[in-house]
Amino acid sequence: MKTYDDLAGDGGSNIVDQVQALGVKLRSRLDRIKHKVALMSGKGGVGKSSLTANVAACLVDKGYSVGILDADLNGPSICHLLGVRNSQKLVVDENGVQPGTGIHGIKLMSMDMLLSSPDSPVMWTEEADATAVWVSTMESTALRELVADTDWGDLDYLLIDMPPGSDRIDNIRGLIPELAGVVEITIPSMLSQHIVAKSITKNNKMKVPILGLVENMAGYTCPHCEKEGPLFEGQDVEELAKQKNIPYIGKIPFDTRIGRKTDSGSLFYMENKDSVTGKAIGSAVDKILDSI
Amino acid sequence: MKFLCIPCDTKMETQTDGIMPEEKSNLAMQFKCKKCGHSIAMLTNKFETEFVSKLGVQVGSTAAEAKGAPMGVVAGALAGGKEELKKSAPNEGEIEWTEDAKERIQRVPFFVRNMAKKTVLEFAKERGITVIDGKLMDEVREKVGM
Repeated sequence: MKTYDDLAGDGGSNIVDQVQALGVKLRSRLDRIKHKVALMSGKGGVGKSSLTANVAACLVDKGYSVGILDADLNGPSICHLLGVRNSQKLVVDENGVQPGTGIHGIKLMSMDMLLSSPDSPVMWTEEADATAVWVSTMESTALRELVADTDWGDLDYLLIDMPPGSDRIDNIRGLIPELAGVVEITIPSMLSQHIVAKSITKNNKMKVPILGLVENMAGYTCPHCEKEGPLFEGQDVEELAKQKNIPYIGKIPFDTRIGRKTDSGSLFYMENKDSVTGKAIGSAVDKILDSI
Repeated sequence: MKFLCIPCDTKMETQTDGIMPEEKSNLAMQFKCKKCGHSIAMLTNKFETEFVSKLGVQVGSTAAEAKGAPMGVVAGALAGGKEELKKSAPNEGEIEWTEDAKERIQRVPFFVRNMAKKTVLEFAKERGITVIDGKLMDEVREKVGM
């Protein structure tokens, strides 16, 4: 009787070839992007997306071409921050899906670009009776398609705005093995540091490179007089970085302006780079670039 | 996975008209021995189907076709997705699909949709039909068991 290897092909569906073809497509996209950096935190609400947008603005200001992948499938916010409206037509052509172009020419791909209305949640057609396994596998597949089927073109940096938690990094690491590393973000509160410490431990165990730890919302800066004051009580975040043996990138103050566009439609960093917060973002970006 | 017809010692082939996505969570596929004509059906349960779904591949398809469907899994499974995304699949030349037919084919799981489409298209072409509508799809379902 013949064995598996005696039979040519794989039964008619060419699944092996198809998987290889998908891998080739993914690789062809990634090879045109010089550096891939994920910004993450175990904790939600620490300002990841606002910071990601302003880090991108800072990189553009330095002359780099930048894209952002919104990996927060269920809570996408990058389109909103970069001024890409839901009403913009999605362009699908022979090269794949064209990314959105946000403020300052930042390219982006987000679930928000794929949904028919701004208030549509990300729901899968089979969700009503779908198992958790099915939803989870759909999310992994969706993430792969967002990376591989977006026509990113040539980029110096692709920033990946991660969802809260530390589970999605498994997908990203699988998709982008050459990931330059992750930037961990925490706020000074004890609770945030407690959770972010777990994320750092997990990344260390998985051997995901950690570029450093950012202390976001580290004190309050008055937008009028730029005086600083405390905002959260907590342990020294620099100490956490030392304990975990990762670089401490620095403090970025809480600034109500950081998450919104300026009157002229720019991101905060572009018009406030000499402010206390702007300088802090600039310094953080310099340290991130030094570590890549 | 491959299937061998033991009496003939010959590989069995996937039958494009034998795909039966009974529900979205399971399916049945037919394999036939070219030599003796014997057919078998492979039935997958919900979890096996989910596993194949995760790969992002299309049963009964080719590597070239897999490359040519940008965000195909998301397009097929995202509720409330943009029309541009749903229409991203390549067109089928002179054959036209009514909105009802497009909606129905879209409900077929992504990884077997291509095969289901081929079945409907072949059925239409054989009969000289240029517009595929819900009625024709009912007919295909009845005649080929899809």
